[in-house]
Amino acid sequence: MGNSYAHNGYNLYFHPEVTPSPVEPPTFDPNIGFANGRKERVMIATEEEMISAKLPREDRDYCAHHLLKFRACRKDNWPFPVLCEHEKHVYLNCKYDDYLLRMKEYERERRLRVREQKQLKTVGA
Amino acid sequence: MNSILKSLRLPKSWLKNNAILITAVRSHFNKDYKPGPYPRTKKERIAAAEKYGILYSEYKPYPDDGGGYGDYPDLPLISADSKDPFYPWDSPELKRNFNEPLHVEFDLVREDRYDVSLKLRRPMWFQLAQCLGAIFGYYALYALCEKAKMFPAVLPKQYPGDGRKHYTFETKS
Repeated sequence: MGNSYAHNGYNLYFHPEVTPSPVEPPTFDPNIGFANGRKERVMIATEEEMISAKLPREDRDYCAHHLLKFRACRKDNWPFPVLCEHEKHVYLNCKYDDYLLRMKEYERERRLRVREQKQLKTVGA
Repeated sequence: MNSILKSLRLPKSWLKNNAILITAVRSHFNKDYKPGPYPRTKKERIAAAEKYGILYSEYKPYPDDGGGYGDYPDLPLISADSKDPFYPWDSPELKRNFNEPLHVEFDLVREDRYDVSLKLRRPMWFQLAQCLGAIFGYYALYALCEKAKMFPAVLPKQYPGDGRKHYTFETKS
């Protein structure tokens, strides 16, 4: 933790075995270390809803239902979109949590790689 | 009216046949604009040096090779830019003294034109090396950093339906 963006690039070039790439999915079993396994993420908005709302592809993530609510609210309350501050806040919080989850996944992947390297070393010695 | 004025103009054939005369009149040409004949004897040389206001020892006419300079002196070519700006010139804007003879190419070496006697602070090869050094130096930095690009420590965004299961960090039950 506490890495700067530049350190990440440096580590990915010089220590690729313990540094996950930002463009590759995680390689370990997601349930390692969880006795009962982890809760799955749930997609609430349906494909039909998103198609109907003409959501761009990059917005069809796990926060899409908040975005749909926010847009509907804006449409209903126009010209007073400030009335939708609650919906906007909820949506942006969801996006923040999503980013946080990606950061956690990265750190989990990195620590698991470090652990694997340590185990390999002890086995070798 | 226009046709009357047109008829008053000199005929074109006359203008064509007397081009030298017309140019001379239009440019206010007079005999003093033209140098004298090339000086052959010492007496002629002394007279020419006196005419141009320079010492006989310093007087050197252009070679008589058909250039048409006649007895005009071959003066050192010094640009106005290279002359002392603090000297009390009679004509500071031209850096010229009263009655000082002008070089034949004087109109090319004024302050607003070319400086033939320019001394560079750095030699030209050094300046070229500076330019190329900056270009390729920055390219080298770019090429080195291209291998290790910085990035935020996050994994790719998770989308439903991309063929893999996504999990929160909460345990089941």
